[in-house]
Amino acid sequence: MSFREYIKDRASLICITVAAWAMILFFFVSFKIRTDIIILFSIIYYTAAILRCIWDFLRRREFYNTLSESMKQLDKKYLLSEVMEEPDFAEGRIAYEALCEANRSMCENVAAYKKISAEFREYIEMWVHEVRLPVASMLLMSHNDGENGVKYGEQLRRIDTCIESVLYYSRSENAEKDYIIKPYELKRIFGSVAVKNREDILRRNITLSTEGLDKTVMTDSKWLEFILGQLLSNSMKYFAEEREPEIKVYAEENDNSIVLHFRDNGIGIPAADLPYIFDKSYTGENGHTHSRSTGMGLYIVKSLCERLGHSISASSVQNEYTDISVSFGKNDHVKPQ
Amino acid sequence: MSKIFIAEDDTVIREQLAELLKNAGYATECLTDFANSLEIIMNSEADLILLDINLPHTNGEQLLMEIRRRTDTPVIMLTSRSTEIDEVMSMSYGADDYITKPYNPTILLLRISAVMKRSSKETVSTSYRDLKLNSAKGTLSNEKCELTLTKNEMIIFRLLLDRQGEIVTRDDLMTALWDNEEYINDNALTVNISRLRGKLADAGYEDAIETRKKQGYILI
Repeated sequence: MSFREYIKDRASLICITVAAWAMILFFFVSFKIRTDIIILFSIIYYTAAILRCIWDFLRRREFYNTLSESMKQLDKKYLLSEVMEEPDFAEGRIAYEALCEANRSMCENVAAYKKISAEFREYIEMWVHEVRLPVASMLLMSHNDGENGVKYGEQLRRIDTCIESVLYYSRSENAEKDYIIKPYELKRIFGSVAVKNREDILRRNITLSTEGLDKTVMTDSKWLEFILGQLLSNSMKYFAEEREPEIKVYAEENDNSIVLHFRDNGIGIPAADLPYIFDKSYTGENGHTHSRSTGMGLYIVKSLCERLGHSISASSVQNEYTDISVSFGKNDHVKPQ
Repeated sequence: MSKIFIAEDDTVIREQLAELLKNAGYATECLTDFANSLEIIMNSEADLILLDINLPHTNGEQLLMEIRRRTDTPVIMLTSRSTEIDEVMSMSYGADDYITKPYNPTILLLRISAVMKRSSKETVSTSYRDLKLNSAKGTLSNEKCELTLTKNEMIIFRLLLDRQGEIVTRDDLMTALWDNEEYINDNALTVNISRLRGKLADAGYEDAIETRKKQGYILI
C-alpha cells in the first residue's frame, strides 16, 4: 500500500476536512478575527490532520504489507491466517477474524473429503484383494485343465491386468507413502514382468530382446513392475500388422541418470498426439482407430513415476516405432556393487 | 517324493493348488482345522510350507515366526496384498519366498522347485553318463572330447538332467529359460534343442534326448 493510494482512498475525508476549515475561516473573517490568529489556527488544524493521516497510514501499512508479503511468499496460501499477527486496529481485527474463521471452516471441509477419499481407497484395496481370490482359483483351474484352460487363462490374465490398474490408480492418487525405495537390478524387475506375460508374448510371436539391464536403480519393485507391465501391454495392443513384432528393452547410463528404454516397432503415435499421451483420459487417434483405450494407462504410469521420482518421456515416429523412456536419478550413495 | 504343506483358507484355491502340485509330482497335505494351525503344520513333516498371510484364528506372519522358532523348513508366503512393505516384512520374519495372488502356476512351480533346491541337502547331479558338466566353464566333457554349450543350451541341459528319465515339457523349458533372462521364442527353442542334440551326438550320444509327441522331451 503506497501513500498515494491511501490518500486517494481518503479523498472524501480530506475534502470534508478542507470544507470544515473553509467554513471556520468564513466565520473567522465574518467576525473580523485577527489574521495572525487565523494563521495560527490553520497551522494547528492542518498539522493535526496531517499527523493523524500519517499515523493511521503507517499503522495500516504495516498490517497490509505483511499480509501481501506473506501471501507472496507462502507456498500454501491457505495458511495465511496462521502466519499473520492479530492487528491492533478494529477494522483489521474484523478482517483477521473473518480470515481465521473461513480457514477453519475450509479445513473442516477438506478433512471431511479426505476421510471420504481415504475410506474409498481402503475399500478399493480390500475389494482388489477380495476379487483376486476367485481370479487366483480360476487361473489355477485353467492351468490344471491343460489344453482346454489356455484360452480361459488368457482372459483371466486380462481381468487381472484391469484389476491391477484400478489398484495402482488408487495408489497413485493417494498421498500416503506405501512404497519402499531400494536398489534393484533392472533385469530382475523386467524379468518378472516378462515371465508373467510370457504366454501372451510367445503366442503373438514377439521378438523380445534386452540389453544393458544389469544396472542397478533406486525404485520400488512392485510399482516399477506395474509400470513395465503397462508399457508391455500397450506395445502388444498397437503392433503393426505388416511387420514382425519386436520389443527391445535397453538401459543407458549417463552422467547423472540411468535411462530405461522400452521400444517397439508398432504403429507409433501421431506427432499431434505425442505431447498429450500421458494426460488423463487422453485417447488420441490410436485409441479410436485401433484398440479401444481408456486413456488411463499412461496417466497412471506417469503419476507413479512422479511419485517415485523418475521421469518419463516418449518419442515416436508414426508407422515406425514408439520409445518410452523412464529415467532414474543416480545417487552416489548407492553405487552398484 | 517331496511333500508340500498347504495352509490356505480359501477352499477352492486350496484344492486347485493341491491338484497343481500333485500333477507336478509332489505329495501334498492341506490345512483344514485352522484352530490348531501350528501343531498340524509342525506334525506334517513337510519339506516345504505354502503359507497364506490371511488365515482364520491367527495371522500368517505370526504363524511364520512360530514356525521359524521351531524349524527351518522352507516357507513360501502366499498373499493377495501386493506391496513392497508386506514383502519386506515377510522376508524379515524368515520366509524363503513371497508370491502374490493370482499366482501364475508355472512361476509358482518354478519358485517352489528353486526353494526346494536351495534347501535340499542332496547334491545336484553334475554328470551325464561319462560326460562331466561344468557349469562355470559351460562345458560337457569326457576323456575324449569337450563340448562347449551356449547359455541357453546349458539351461536346457541342466533342466533335463535334473529330471532325467522324466518328461520335461516345452513349457517347463521355456519357463526356465525366461527365468534366466533368455527371452527366446518357440522356434529358437526348437533350434536350441536340435543344436544340443547335435553336440551330444558329437560325443557319441545320438539319442540322448527323445521327443515325446505333444508332451515334451526326455533325457535318457
